[in-house]
Amino acid sequence: MIEVEAVTKRFKQVVAVDGITFTVQSGEVLGLLGENGAGKTTTMRIMATVLQPSEGDIRIDGFSVRNQPMEVRRRLGLLFGGEVGLYNRLTARENISYFGRLYGLGERQLAERVKQLSRALGMEDFLDRRVGPFSRGMKQKVAIARSLVHDPQVILLDEPTTGLDVSAASVFRRLINSLKAEGKTILFSSHNMGEIEKLCDRLIIMHKGRLIFEGTVSTLRKTYGLEDLDDIFIRAIGEEE
Amino acid sequence: MNGRHIRLVFQKEFTDLLRDRKTWIGALVIPIVVIPLVFLILGSAMSSVEKEARAYIPLAVTGLQEHPLVSQLRALPGVTLLHPADPMTALKQAEVRAVLQFPANFDQRVKSGQQARLTVFYDPSNQKSSYAREVIEQAVKEYETMLVDERLRSVGLTREAIQPVATEFSSIATDEKMTGSLLSTIIPLMLILSLISGGMPAATDLVAGEKERGTLESLISAPIASSNVLTAKLLAVMIMSGVSAIASLFSLTLIFSAMPLGEANVTFSLGFLHSDSLAVLIVMLLLLAAMFAGLELAISTAAKSFKEAQTYMSPIIFVGMVPAYMIMPLNPVDVPFLYYVLPIFNGIAIFKEIFYGDLVTWHALVAILSSLVYVSLAIGIASRLFRKESLIMR
Repeated sequence: MIEVEAVTKRFKQVVAVDGITFTVQSGEVLGLLGENGAGKTTTMRIMATVLQPSEGDIRIDGFSVRNQPMEVRRRLGLLFGGEVGLYNRLTARENISYFGRLYGLGERQLAERVKQLSRALGMEDFLDRRVGPFSRGMKQKVAIARSLVHDPQVILLDEPTTGLDVSAASVFRRLINSLKAEGKTILFSSHNMGEIEKLCDRLIIMHKGRLIFEGTVSTLRKTYGLEDLDDIFIRAIGEEE
Repeated sequence: MNGRHIRLVFQKEFTDLLRDRKTWIGALVIPIVVIPLVFLILGSAMSSVEKEARAYIPLAVTGLQEHPLVSQLRALPGVTLLHPADPMTALKQAEVRAVLQFPANFDQRVKSGQQARLTVFYDPSNQKSSYAREVIEQAVKEYETMLVDERLRSVGLTREAIQPVATEFSSIATDEKMTGSLLSTIIPLMLILSLISGGMPAATDLVAGEKERGTLESLISAPIASSNVLTAKLLAVMIMSGVSAIASLFSLTLIFSAMPLGEANVTFSLGFLHSDSLAVLIVMLLLLAAMFAGLELAISTAAKSFKEAQTYMSPIIFVGMVPAYMIMPLNPVDVPFLYYVLPIFNGIAIFKEIFYGDLVTWHALVAILSSLVYVSLAIGIASRLFRKESLIMR
């Protein structure tokens, strides 16, 4: 469970996140929608304890990002889109195992987990090859396995499908659904409305650091009286201007 | 500090670096390939110039053609007498290496027991002409000796009469001392340079590189204190820097043991290295490696990109070269006390003493203690930068 309580983040003059409050329940996939620079990544970085909130607090499964950052980190799985962030000179297995060990997994547990994940993601063929020359999709699979290796309760996905082809994206969606079925708490950020609709129970929309909508997709449709989600999105952020 | 975490990160960093060609080129190729090659090329180029200059020495003579001194010159190996139309132009165009100008009254003054004047024109900007001058000097000296003996005999004196004191200079320096004084000029410079350059590719890769590839954010989101991450990275950079220093130490020692040592009859000997000076050498190398590693990681952390880190880092080499060149010509006893306290200076001064075979215990203590201060400063700066949020904000 993620509880965001009146969080503000300022960088010198710029207010990146402006007093937002929302909650993500266990077994729920919450979509976080917004344009580039809306404050999505900053919000996730505060959850990940990489950035400190200027005001407010976030609780991850009850642990405060301000006061118990190590407890928070142990419970989080992070996947950031854009750069996948792998060590190119290490093999896929080495990349995944390194993080498994950093999260405190024992060797036997780790081997078991790597096996499980590589089967689930279909990466057995390239598990022991160096990731440098991998295709974007292969790298993304390794990155997913790395973020899930310690079986985190709360999962943060920041535009994870960026650069994935259609079939890889569908494999990814299936994985999200099975994680949801396991009762994980999932926050999924995107600027693609279609993707959010396929995956998420509820969504929030951020614009210029503020929360401008919270609810289900059908409420969103009702509120703005439009069918096409992209139109709704444009309308929603337009009203804020 | 968590030993398990440090070991974990260190193992990964080291595996990663081992597989990175540019780290190894930076750390090993310079000491093992470049340094010997430079010495070899310099050495062989010098000796081939000298050989050529000695094999063929064209000279021109004006004023006199037949004279005992000229015959003596002609008899020397390599000497050829040429008769150019204009000897001075020939010298300027390097067709002859020197021109000997005998005045008309040369022989007359010699025979009457007076001093005769001989003018030799040569070109000191031409290495070969300078060799010719040496050869001429030698021939003139022999001719002079012959004349002096003759003049002495005619008045019934022997050589002892005009050379009442025979001075013999005898070297008390042992082979170790000779080797040491040679090594103590060049090794401190090479050690500093390899300490600095050996760690640079690793330091650049381990923070600026990770930042650029986006792996640093995942790493600092893991449940491990950033001080442990930094410690592991510091150790990895230190090892690369130390490996590079030790490689250049071996490389230089091998070169000097294979090369003639300039002075005749000196054999290469490392007898001046005792167990305590060796221990000080290692401690000093480690401290300098740690200081440079801290500094390089601080730069790598402050840099916005890989390229920027490389740009900011290269001036450290010059920072290291200045004290090395300042101390190079000094004898260990002439090194001012301040140098044992200043950063980098202290390491170079101690290296010099160690290779000179004259390590002063309290100098070593002062250098080690002051280095500890600089190491903690460098690491302190690196860790301050490493903790800042700006680490992931570009």
